[in-house]
Amino acid sequence: MRTVRNSRRTHGFAVLVAVGLLAAACSDGGSITDTGDTITTTVPGDTMAPTTTVAADTLPDCPTDALASATGPVEISFWHGMSSVLNDELIKLTDLYNSSQTKVHVTLTGQTYETTIDNYLQASQSSRPDLVQMPEYMVQSLVDTHSTVPVGKCIAASGFDTSSFLPTALTAYSTQGVQWGMPFNLSNPVLYYSKKAFTAAGLDPNKPPQSLDELRADSQKIVDSGAAKYGLALDSGFDSGGGWYVEQWFAKAQEFYVDGDNGRTNRATQVLYNNQTGADLLTFLQTMINDGLAVSVGDNAGGQDDLLKLADAKEPAAMSIHTSAALGGALSILASGTFPNLKDTDLGIGPMPGPDGKPGALIGGASLWPVDSGDDVKTAATWDFIQFLVSAEQQSEWASVTGYIPVRTDALSVDPYKTKLATDPRFSVAYDQLKASPDALTSAGPVVGPLREMRSVLAQAIAKVFGGADVKATLADASAQANQLITNYNQLNGG
Amino acid sequence: MKRKLRDLPPALLMLVPSLGLLAVWTIYPLVRAVDYGHKACDISVRNCRDVGWDRYWTVFQSKEFQDALLVSLKLALMTVPVGLVLGIGLAVLADKQLKGIGIFRTVFSSTVATSVAVASLVWFVLLQPQVGVLADLLSGWIPKLKNPGLLNDSSTALPAVALSSIWASLGFTFIIIMAGLQSVPRDLYESAFVDGAGSFRRFTNVTLPMLTPSILFVTVVLTTRALQAYGEIALLTGGGPQDTKATTTIPYLIYGNNSLVHNDIGIKSASAVLLFLLCLTFAAVQFRGFGKRVHYGN
Repeated sequence: MRTVRNSRRTHGFAVLVAVGLLAAACSDGGSITDTGDTITTTVPGDTMAPTTTVAADTLPDCPTDALASATGPVEISFWHGMSSVLNDELIKLTDLYNSSQTKVHVTLTGQTYETTIDNYLQASQSSRPDLVQMPEYMVQSLVDTHSTVPVGKCIAASGFDTSSFLPTALTAYSTQGVQWGMPFNLSNPVLYYSKKAFTAAGLDPNKPPQSLDELRADSQKIVDSGAAKYGLALDSGFDSGGGWYVEQWFAKAQEFYVDGDNGRTNRATQVLYNNQTGADLLTFLQTMINDGLAVSVGDNAGGQDDLLKLADAKEPAAMSIHTSAALGGALSILASGTFPNLKDTDLGIGPMPGPDGKPGALIGGASLWPVDSGDDVKTAATWDFIQFLVSAEQQSEWASVTGYIPVRTDALSVDPYKTKLATDPRFSVAYDQLKASPDALTSAGPVVGPLREMRSVLAQAIAKVFGGADVKATLADASAQANQLITNYNQLNGG
Repeated sequence: MKRKLRDLPPALLMLVPSLGLLAVWTIYPLVRAVDYGHKACDISVRNCRDVGWDRYWTVFQSKEFQDALLVSLKLALMTVPVGLVLGIGLAVLADKQLKGIGIFRTVFSSTVATSVAVASLVWFVLLQPQVGVLADLLSGWIPKLKNPGLLNDSSTALPAVALSSIWASLGFTFIIIMAGLQSVPRDLYESAFVDGAGSFRRFTNVTLPMLTPSILFVTVVLTTRALQAYGEIALLTGGGPQDTKATTTIPYLIYGNNSLVHNDIGIKSASAVLLFLLCLTFAAVQFRGFGKRVHYGN
């Protein structure tokens, strides 16, 4: 008797749960980003007016001469997001620094960018490191943590000479007149292409396409001649074809991506990509796929699917757009002979093709942020290490191994980068297109709190467009969702 | 009753170490998560504002959560029954006194020593559409392996993830069921044999009933694992294909690299607590549903 009642109760419970799930599934829920972060009625004292200037005297100081008063070696912790070849090289530079002097000792903690960000944001100020490396999409978020010493203060206090720095590199990490981070590892997207396929298609292997029209024309020739199955491999990853490249293309078109002059003069409140430029761009990509000239490798979860498409034995593509930071690694893999159909000498590098063929690119990569520990000696020691990492000698070494762009022009006349450029001009493409960027805020890239999440939104939209969705409607949806994210963020952080 | 009371202080004393660990690593974070779930906080979680407990309901009803819930349930449906049947099958096969059976037992249980990350990477390399082994070998029969790749197609991505997941947890299922099999008293089989039961009857009337405690345990663990699947999603698909979010499970919705609520501790916590309630509900239903049919021996 008891068993029957029990099992009935169990069944009743299970049915209740199932009905509850179904009922919820049938209800027309809104977006998860619209679940209470934004208050629609104004609460007194809770309105966030955009700030226009940051009062420099409210920011932490950088007493760079405090290191002189240190008695023993100052221990500095550095959280970074470098992996594989990049990690090896950063360890090498840090060891060199540690052994070159006795005042400061740096300990590295390597994770991915994402883990570094999460750990940093959620840690208490005392558990944070003395120095953190943050990717370009984190500028506004990090500013809003109020946890760092702006490097601008260190530059001023120590009289550090930045005259040989690339102006765009510095601008990328400054907002509202404050230099927040120190550019360290710069990259931008370049065109990776198979010279073999270009030759087979009757194209000049040393003349990669500059404009989108040329990109299409060259793809057509490659496909028609049978030199490769596809002209171009596209991806919809949020840190590549689905997000970052769109920011690049807007910069190339000299248009702002978000308002407030890309968030550089005022806090950004909305995206601006839902316009003709955005629609034209996505239509171009969609048509390339529809016409069989380009192929999407999907979300690129492994990060290399688009490059591997160049080495595909059966259905290769001849070109792909990829970050210049992968150049060093890609060349060493190809040189090892892993892919018989693509050798390191077959790989060509060209500037990222843009709407009108003009050169130019946004800064990607990451920068160095000294953390405000309240300890003057540690801050000064951190600054000493930063100065080492961005010196012409170390930038030359760093760039020649990794494919990153040196942050300063004088690194080009120092070995080993000097020799590298002379022997392998592929390493100078990313630098050249960065140098050619017009000196304007459109070339400084968007600074906006939820940039990483906004890239995810756009990546989904672009994946849909690659799959054949209506461009204008998809773009409008993405724009509305991104604006919701910005509104939420500004309400919670905008002060 | 008196004796029970007298035993209480020493019992508590002995429980202190595990209760302490439980309190610090499970209870406290859970309480904090429940609290954050009704708050909206700034980026470094310093300033928070109360948004009301109905946040839980709105998060539960949101389109993204509902989609992820469906994906998580589908993944559980794909992995749990298949994993269980395969595990029982292999265990029954290996439960023979044959020469060299140890080799098979080692092979069948080997994936228990394989982390989700390693298992996922193995499958990622196998399934990679451009240079992967399977893509070039089998694309004649299954064109999707090459174009766009099983993990890049909305209809095959989740089954492909499930495949990797089943493979990875097979060793665990095998070992638990194997242990269950070894504890079945041999005389039960003998008397069944004497009563004229064939091998199939012996399996259904002796083996299965005696295995129910192990099966219940494995079912609960596999279901919880499926609902909490994160590693294989992060490494194999990143929650994609993004156009349909075909493999964005609830954990991936919360923690994934391309999560929309990545830096929003309030919504993340609310989602995590809902996931906890979901796992709890499933475990409860499984315990009660199985309850009377589980044979714990004498």
